[in-house]
Amino acid sequence: MVRARAISILFAANLLALAGSCASTRSGAPGGRLSTDALGKIENLAQGEQGYALVASKVFALDEDDHVYSPGMVLVRGSKIAYVGPPREVPAGYAKLEYPEGVVCPGMVDLHSHVQSGGFGDVNDMVMPVNPEFRASSAMRPSNPAIKRACASGITTLYGIPGSGTSLGGFGLLYKTKTHASFDDCVIRSVGGMKVAQAYNPERRAGDLGLTRAGLAWMLENINHQALGAEREGRFDPALANLQKVHRKEIPVLIHCAGSDSFPAAARMWKTEFDTNCVLSHGCFDAHLTAPYEVGLGVPINAGPRTIDYYSTRDGALTGIAHEYEKAGVKHLSLNTDSPVVPEEELFLQGSISAHMGADSYQMLRAVTINPALVFGLGKRLGSLEPGKDADVVVRNGEPLDPRSHVETVLIDGAIEYDWKRDGQWF
Amino acid sequence: MILQTLLLSLASALPSADPQPAALPNLFAIRVGRAETITNGTLQHAVILVEGGKIVTIGEDLPVERGIPVIDRPDWVVMPGLVNAYSRLSLEGDAGEEFSPENKASDELFADSEELKDVVKYGVTTLGLYPAGNGVCGQAVAIRPLGKTNADLVLADSCYLKIVLRASSSSKRALRDGFKKADDYVEKEKKAREKWDKEQEKKKSKPTTKKEESKSEDEKKDDSKDEKKSAGPDVYVPPEADPKAQAFLDLRSGKLRALVSVQSAAEYLHFLDALGEEKISWDLRLPLQRESDLYYVLEKKAYGLEADGIGDKKARCVLEPTLTVEPGTMHVRNLPMEFARAGAKLVLIPRSESNPDHEHWLANVGEVVAAGLDRATALRAMTLEAAELLGVDKRLGSLEKEKDANLLFFSGDPLEPTSKLEAVMLEGRIVFGEVKP
Amino acid sequence: MRMNRILGTLALASLFLAPLARGQEPEPAADPKKPDDKHKTEETWFAVTGGDVYTGDGSFLRGATVLAHNGKIERIGFELDFPADTKKLDATGYRVYPGLVAISSSGLLGNSSSEFEDTIDPFSQRMILGLASGITSTGVGNSAVKLERFRIAGAVLRDRIYSTFSWSSRNPSGKQGLRDKFRATADYMREYRDWEEKVKKDKELKEPPKKGVDNAVLSVLRGDTIAKFNAGDRDDLLGIARLAQDYGFRPVIDGCQEGWTVADELGRAGAMAIVTARDRRPKDEHQVIEGGTNIQNASLLYRAGVPIAIAVQQTGVDLSGLVGRDIMGLTIEAGFAVRGGLPEAAAIASITIVPARLLGVSHRVGSIEVGKDCDLIITDGDLLHYNTFVQWAIVDGRIAYDKQKELFFAQIRPRPEPTVAVGERKLDKGESKPEAGKDEADKSGEEKPKEEKPKEEKPKEGREVGALATAPRLIAAPNRNGYRVGGKPVARLTE
Repeated sequence: MVRARAISILFAANLLALAGSCASTRSGAPGGRLSTDALGKIENLAQGEQGYALVASKVFALDEDDHVYSPGMVLVRGSKIAYVGPPREVPAGYAKLEYPEGVVCPGMVDLHSHVQSGGFGDVNDMVMPVNPEFRASSAMRPSNPAIKRACASGITTLYGIPGSGTSLGGFGLLYKTKTHASFDDCVIRSVGGMKVAQAYNPERRAGDLGLTRAGLAWMLENINHQALGAEREGRFDPALANLQKVHRKEIPVLIHCAGSDSFPAAARMWKTEFDTNCVLSHGCFDAHLTAPYEVGLGVPINAGPRTIDYYSTRDGALTGIAHEYEKAGVKHLSLNTDSPVVPEEELFLQGSISAHMGADSYQMLRAVTINPALVFGLGKRLGSLEPGKDADVVVRNGEPLDPRSHVETVLIDGAIEYDWKRDGQWF
Repeated sequence: MILQTLLLSLASALPSADPQPAALPNLFAIRVGRAETITNGTLQHAVILVEGGKIVTIGEDLPVERGIPVIDRPDWVVMPGLVNAYSRLSLEGDAGEEFSPENKASDELFADSEELKDVVKYGVTTLGLYPAGNGVCGQAVAIRPLGKTNADLVLADSCYLKIVLRASSSSKRALRDGFKKADDYVEKEKKAREKWDKEQEKKKSKPTTKKEESKSEDEKKDDSKDEKKSAGPDVYVPPEADPKAQAFLDLRSGKLRALVSVQSAAEYLHFLDALGEEKISWDLRLPLQRESDLYYVLEKKAYGLEADGIGDKKARCVLEPTLTVEPGTMHVRNLPMEFARAGAKLVLIPRSESNPDHEHWLANVGEVVAAGLDRATALRAMTLEAAELLGVDKRLGSLEKEKDANLLFFSGDPLEPTSKLEAVMLEGRIVFGEVKP
Repeated sequence: MRMNRILGTLALASLFLAPLARGQEPEPAADPKKPDDKHKTEETWFAVTGGDVYTGDGSFLRGATVLAHNGKIERIGFELDFPADTKKLDATGYRVYPGLVAISSSGLLGNSSSEFEDTIDPFSQRMILGLASGITSTGVGNSAVKLERFRIAGAVLRDRIYSTFSWSSRNPSGKQGLRDKFRATADYMREYRDWEEKVKKDKELKEPPKKGVDNAVLSVLRGDTIAKFNAGDRDDLLGIARLAQDYGFRPVIDGCQEGWTVADELGRAGAMAIVTARDRRPKDEHQVIEGGTNIQNASLLYRAGVPIAIAVQQTGVDLSGLVGRDIMGLTIEAGFAVRGGLPEAAAIASITIVPARLLGVSHRVGSIEVGKDCDLIITDGDLLHYNTFVQWAIVDGRIAYDKQKELFFAQIRPRPEPTVAVGERKLDKGESKPEAGKDEADKSGEEKPKEEKPKEEKPKEGREVGALATAPRLIAAPNRNGYRVGGKPVARLTE
């Protein structure tokens, strides 16, 4: 009986109401015990410096300790975050942005995106199956409408990659979704990582080499061995130079693969055989059945764009794919849109639906922010609100994964790239 | 091939041109280890006395009079010949029109067909053949598989009216139209009767015929000369019904049963809806698709159906011996078992018309039994229940006194895949295998 | 105080509620024990007790009971008496909403799109998924049908709802042609009414000729059918609005993508719109004025007085795994309309009572009102929240969907315990009067740790953890091993 009532009140109250009550019950406590040093230095701005003080009803830091401050404050100094914590007196020079009902989160990160060129085309050159010479940055159109809309949904960093039509599609670029930017303004790394397609698309059905998984695998192994050979011999080969970076673990590789038939094989090749910083992307259909193997190898998984599975397991249940990976203990699970398969701006919805289908809401928020940043070696710069990190900050008017919440303000590198009041509602 | 072993002696419908004359006498006894009687359970040390192609007596450890030849195979098991009540073996007729209740499969019969001869060696001694079609297809015929002429084959005609009912307006309308035709005839017959009555009255009052004033123009047109003649001898002869209407009149009178093919739970409800208030006898043909959802309509109370379920109605259902899966899953369901447990009467037929499926018919039923279907129900479903569907249960389908001696001799349990069908006896004669006293 | 609220909001219900609230016996007519059951039809009573009832017309009754008699809502209120054989569903702790009305869908009733009485498949897996998404009625083709499970009778609510017309700038002569038809038909109707008067005196007077009269237009102008247009361009919308004003009918505009740019005109013309919040169409760059799709479309139209029904992008059920845009995402789509500024209540209306009106069946479905069909959904949280599940769907006072009894979602956050029972003659949960929110919040705070083991590590001193745990969701069942679904043990409960 008591429980029933407890449930009822849980349902009855919405996030904000609860956030409010939490704040009132614990008011004062955090601020009193925390040293300012742990949270960043609070100094007045120097002459000519720009800074914002965001005060909101709730701040999700998404840091290692899962800090949540309600109410909370984020200080942005220049392009970096200077302070995250309970509200305190705003030092001089900072422009104060107040969101009495707002929720502040770090900007979202999508590791599987194809909107860099503005549409679905221009992602695969289909003549050769293995293209280590290619770079997606060649087709980059900064601040195109898809990128702007992504920004307006709270995404601040994208990994724009070639498609999966060929085994080795080339190298993707990491960029920020700034809304009025040049290439140099927004690109973090123009060779941000490699894109491989292991199965479920690169099959060369015309009957060329690569019709089967064996042929596809051989082609990838072959090129890897060539790169390793060049590395051993110290030989410079422009075609292999970027691939060698993957072997040196300077950049990660994202592998398009799915299904229990190819998921473990990809993990084996890229982790066990070539020992790269690999991320398995998609993992749809029944690939989750092999999750314990990938967990054992410590290979991170970037799930999507499919969020549920029905036909593969055939037990009559709709299976939440992220929930399955969560149960299997996948570390740093991240979600993707494979945009425009799922519109880029609906990255958060991949999290909402995964949560609906059984996964933990908070973990799904991590899966679109800090987790993708961590697995791509960007954990020091992106994905959470911590002093010293890039000031990629998103303010919404409600729960971050709720479709009903719109984005109020997006800061990228400390500049307001999108503001609901200023620019109108883009999404 | 098989027919070379045909042994004949009796004056029956079987082909008499066989080169080998009678090896079995008119009267003989069979003594086997076990007999599946269907009606009387399993007999151990069974003795069957056959005379003139009929079973005279059957029992356990019966003494056999000296002088009567005895087929003595204590290691064998005997069961009645299989009845495939739903088949189109040997028939080639086209589907024809959607609404052809007057069609008769007996018109398409093809005696001496190799296909029929083939299935004898798999133990099929009776078949029910139905006319093709996708609507109201026509009437089935019960046959024995061997015979020289079509007349030799027929055991009973107009066994059931096969109707295919789909969840569509046209399909449901076809069924309703049939009854409408019957209604039209009833109306017509009523008018004819009234007319006849009036004429009789006039005859009585005025011996000389006068112009019939009371009639409308239409009715005059309707009057056929035959009717006028028949009205003459003071005996009322009802007008002849259109053959399409006749089939539905027969359905209503109980002379004909309907066998309605529905393949999903929804179609069962649509059938009942199309049938409305009509009171006819009907059985169901339920093709079991891999993801059949027919379990929804077994019992009314299980899902709160608007009508009685198949089990509630104790309906007779013609099914393949096959296991299905729950829609969208790999969860196996044994629908034949569920049907039987819900109260439906089972008729099991081979999974298809092919020879291999006839050959493995018993083994396939064995699988369903292994998965939970009651064994006795399964055996009955291939013999007596099927004979009842065809209306020939009085003369075959079980091992009983006065029934046809259609016997199958097995080396072991008929449902065991390792058992071999050693011989087939059709109406007292061995038509497959070799059995000697 | 509480009664006042009900009386205010449920004028009809109050007729019954007032005497009951004073503890009187139920009306004799409602007592099935009374021997007036000459009717063959079974008397069925069904009650959903203790739920927080959102009636769909703006009122909210905490811990109330909805009582249905033979499939119709008989009473709504507190401390109701009902017959002993009433089937009760204890919805304490859950929310009760009217069943959703999908303005259009496909495949939920089988493969057909017409002649539902003869084609409906009430055992379809898609129907289960429709109900699981909260949908109890839907428009299909030109009909409005109910998701009646296990029965084929009574599924069709209404046939021949719309007369569909085309109005497009790409076909100027078509527009002129339609105008001509309306003019001729309106003229004919005027002449006909005239003739009707005159013919009383002059019996020889001939009926006016039907020259140029279009039957579809005639049925619209007579009010037999609703005029429906598929249009999205600003110019077309303005043209339709003008036509509607000229001839005095209320058009339904499907699509209405640029409606937000002419919302006032549409509102004045009495237009009704079917919109998809996430429709995506770029602005025609040749136009100087604003255009293209806008997530605020629904909101702006609503504010201009245009009744809004929310539609999804894919009308069928999509199980391919790309989730959120098919018919199962109806509440998600409504959520996106809220994102664009549509008030929550209007968003819920846009998937309940408004589509019911657009389909001409609002006298039967679309809200929880006495006399209407007892089509309810019982959810474990806020209808528009992404984590919410429909736990039960009730159609015509019968449980048509129970999350735990179907394979699709049973394994996700299984419901603690079955609560359906045939109750004795007893007062419902009136005694446990829900207190003001804050008291309960504290209680729930005490309860939580016992049932819900937080996934995160222990909170660091002075810091909050488990941020999103505040999202409304069911607390996991205490029995960790007991649930078996479809013969397969469910791997784990939510943690």
